[in-house]
Amino acid sequence: MWRVAPAGDRALLITIGTVIDPALLAEVLALDRALQDRQPAGLLGTVPAYGSLLCHYDAGVTDAARLEESIRQLEGKVEYSIPSGTIVDIPSRYDGPDLPEVALKTSLTPAGVIEQHAGREYLVYCVGFAPGFTYCGALPDEIAVPRLASPRLSVPAGSIGIAGRQTGIYAVESPGGWNLIGRTDQRLFHPMADPPARFKPGDRLRFIPIP
Amino acid sequence: MIELVDGGRWTTIQDRGRPGLERFGIPAGGAADWFAARVANELVGNPSDAALLECTSVGPTLRFVDEAVVAVTGGQVASIAGWEAFRVARGSSLAVGAIAPGLRTYVAIRRGIDVPLVLGSRSFCQRGTFGGGFGRPLATGDRLPIGQLLAHEPMLVPWPPAHHLPLRGPWEVRVIAGPQAAAFASDALERLTATACRVTPEIDRMGLRLETPGLRLPSEEILTVPMTAGAIQVTPSGGLIVLHVDHQTTGGYPVIATVINADLPLLAQARPGDTVRLRAVDMEEAARAWRRMSGWLELDL
Repeated sequence: MWRVAPAGDRALLITIGTVIDPALLAEVLALDRALQDRQPAGLLGTVPAYGSLLCHYDAGVTDAARLEESIRQLEGKVEYSIPSGTIVDIPSRYDGPDLPEVALKTSLTPAGVIEQHAGREYLVYCVGFAPGFTYCGALPDEIAVPRLASPRLSVPAGSIGIAGRQTGIYAVESPGGWNLIGRTDQRLFHPMADPPARFKPGDRLRFIPIP
Repeated sequence: MIELVDGGRWTTIQDRGRPGLERFGIPAGGAADWFAARVANELVGNPSDAALLECTSVGPTLRFVDEAVVAVTGGQVASIAGWEAFRVARGSSLAVGAIAPGLRTYVAIRRGIDVPLVLGSRSFCQRGTFGGGFGRPLATGDRLPIGQLLAHEPMLVPWPPAHHLPLRGPWEVRVIAGPQAAAFASDALERLTATACRVTPEIDRMGLRLETPGLRLPSEEILTVPMTAGAIQVTPSGGLIVLHVDHQTTGGYPVIATVINADLPLLAQARPGDTVRLRAVDMEEAARAWRRMSGWLELDL
């Protein structure tokens, strides 16, 4: 059952699930598309992430109860399939400052960490936190490590980080608590580009090690 | 054209922001005290989306190359009568100076500040370092062109004092429970609303960190979810982070309650050491609070 809860007096958060799962993301994205097609009165915009969808609304046109009702009409009715689009290659230099520490924590060599990280396809689950930041999953358990005990005040744009079963790319310079294992020269955010972020949830990518 | 003879502590160009781009990680942004900014534009006869100056803690000194009609609202400054439109002669200067009570002061100039639109807005976005004319806070020596946006004649009378928001604490801030209320004990919000929270020095347009003396609400990280302005995140150490206009668009700390839109301006004016008391309300009360403030804006057009 979808959980629908107010996120303040101008938005509803629909939670379909609370785990990293391609099928959950697929259902979130299908609901997102269905709402964009139907355009319920007063719906201003939506924000998908992992297992949930935020719906901003105009409180002068609708209210939480009415919007929830039109969303509930879609429950169990949206058709979805696991994203299967083109896989984008991200050329990656695995020279991040936390790579030795990640190797220690996982009892692997740095080369072993790189092999685990680069050797698979990832699904983009969310673009958020900061402009263009691309959250991907799922990491293999072999290299799942906790966030840093204290976050860095500044992480350079292009940094590739890991935390838990997630990996992500910092698109702009920002604070950050993920373990940095590499970086890419690819620009993932540009305010003048359309769309401004290179990736969106449901996209697929792969990290390609380069010297 | 206006020239910044002194940039002030943290002066940025803001308008109503760029809602609808959160899916790219871009917060809506815009004036932190949306009410004061809206009134400043009304006073000088600008449309509500005209860009103005948001001054923080210590405002800039402006030199007007041309004659202008100006209004100053929000946090109080010693040298200027706020909340009314006034004329500034060509070649003269306006020193905004120290702001108190309150933290943020808005300076609207008739016809608006004309810097390029980026993603539909002139607002400076701190996380993305774009917008606001220069992709940074304003600095001494910057020159700002004046635009062509006009809605109506400047208002001839000051904004009625009965239609101001408070500028000093203790602040009563109304919240709606959730969306992750279930991540906490059933009495958690009740205990939180009974606590006098204290504003720490860690406050900016992205969010405010609050301390809860005598109260620790255990919480655990959750799977990343979308976030809204006003979301009150509880960190594993038990502290609160209230997200504001330039907020992170997603987060992994559970949100116990969310500040209503009508009360977000109060958090834009709170200062370190101030007391904040949260009060849980229902949707109806939030809607009443919203109608009351929008009524002020329509009545005085």
